[in-house]
Amino acid sequence: MSVNDKLLKTRFLVDSGTPHIKVDHSVCAECRDEPCLVICPVECYKKEQQKVTFSWENCVECGSCRVVCSKGAVSWDYPRGGFGVCFRFG
Amino acid sequence: MKTNFQAIVVGAGPAGASAALIMARAGLDVALVERGTFPGEKNMFGGVLHRIPALEEVFPDFWERAPLERHIIKKGVTFVTEGSSFSTVIEAGSFDRPPFNGYTIFRPRFDAWLAGEAVKAGATLIARSTVDDVVTRNGGVVGVSVLDRGVLNAPVVIAADGVLSFTAMKAGLRRQTFDPAQMAVGVKALLDLPKGVIDERFGLVRNQGFANEFVGCTSGVRGGAFLYTNYDSLSVGLVFHLASLRTSSKTPYDLLNAFLEQPQVAKMVRGGRLQEYSAHLIPEGGYDMIPELVGSGILVAGDAAALCNATGVHLEGINLAVRSGVLAGQAVIAAHQSGDFSRQGLATYRRLMEESHVLKDLRKCRLAPHMLHNDRIYNDYPELVCGLMEDIYRIDGGPKETLTQLFLKRARKKIGVKNLVADAFSAWRAL
Repeated sequence: MSVNDKLLKTRFLVDSGTPHIKVDHSVCAECRDEPCLVICPVECYKKEQQKVTFSWENCVECGSCRVVCSKGAVSWDYPRGGFGVCFRFG
Repeated sequence: MKTNFQAIVVGAGPAGASAALIMARAGLDVALVERGTFPGEKNMFGGVLHRIPALEEVFPDFWERAPLERHIIKKGVTFVTEGSSFSTVIEAGSFDRPPFNGYTIFRPRFDAWLAGEAVKAGATLIARSTVDDVVTRNGGVVGVSVLDRGVLNAPVVIAADGVLSFTAMKAGLRRQTFDPAQMAVGVKALLDLPKGVIDERFGLVRNQGFANEFVGCTSGVRGGAFLYTNYDSLSVGLVFHLASLRTSSKTPYDLLNAFLEQPQVAKMVRGGRLQEYSAHLIPEGGYDMIPELVGSGILVAGDAAALCNATGVHLEGINLAVRSGVLAGQAVIAAHQSGDFSRQGLATYRRLMEESHVLKDLRKCRLAPHMLHNDRIYNDYPELVCGLMEDIYRIDGGPKETLTQLFLKRARKKIGVKNLVADAFSAWRAL
């Protein structure tokens, strides 16, 4: 089962246009480890055409990327109040 | 909106709600600030709430009031390899009677209930509010700023905003960055399954529950798995040490898929339909990870203070969070009586924590996180255990070997006697 299938039943209230995580892709371009690709439990980070891409809409706000990125490419804040993932069972 | 309070609690999880409840019951004017639309919405854990004497002191009939799924009467540990598994299970009659020893719960329901009790006691819940900084005066914390909403003022703030605790960080009580070696990430699938099927499959009646942990199912990544029975669903998931996961090439969701497909596990979860997939960080660095608990005008409690006892045998967090919240609340009540909110005035919290089981347990298990950074635990030992049990029970027409012969043959090949002795010593020292 893919991550997208897994997330079908996980609810989000997406704060359109206000990403709570910002990724400095110029730093990523220099990175060889790319731990974000392995760590993120919801595949927010992907490798497309040799580049790390980031989308925040499926983010479950765990913070793993913030912990493992040692290059400082990830600026991580919580979403605005009331937005983001809404666990029903947690 | 009212902006002045006698105390502000950031985060309405188990630590924060407990602190707010204790303070509100003592008559303090408390703000309980939560970034979710309701308390618990952002919170996730494996699924077992251990018995919480700290809450039983507040609610003597806790198990009658709290929204609980099942009480745990059966606890198992399973060593898993690709094709085989070996389990030990303890089922105790005493776990089937109040005070129960532990429960499965859903955080959005449980945390909302506990925070609701704080509100009933008089606390003001301010939901949908993300705290983005602390407000300081003369080096002491005197409030917090809330994104899009402005400033809340109080002579003291309790940071109970979870494992990433930006509040404790902004107040300078913890470092800006985390060490991946001290962190774990958990992923969980919530699978619904009719109550009758769960009862039959796991040998349960009434609201009895089963909690099982697994070792050896993480493809060599340091970590483990769990399966817990809720009333009519299963919580199934994995926990990985971040430092180990980052150097593997395996993603958490692929490892979860592989676990659910392991033949013995697949039978346990058969027919379960996915209702939610979730993930969360766990502070697993133990005693050495605990930040400054007290600053001028600020206290840190729960996951924010890295109060998590994950020794492999014990996997505790919420019980420590509640106790720390209660003690932080008591320290704030005492500070209001003396009027001293300085670091010295609030130092009562540190003393109460030292006297409680929270810091005693964490100090006792201080070496456990280091002991658990041993790759053999997650691959070689489960294979040794399962292989040995297979050897013991396999009938192949040849003469039987003694248990010692069987064990040494496998152990020499798989682990080496020197490693075996070293690992046994390190486990004995840590636990």
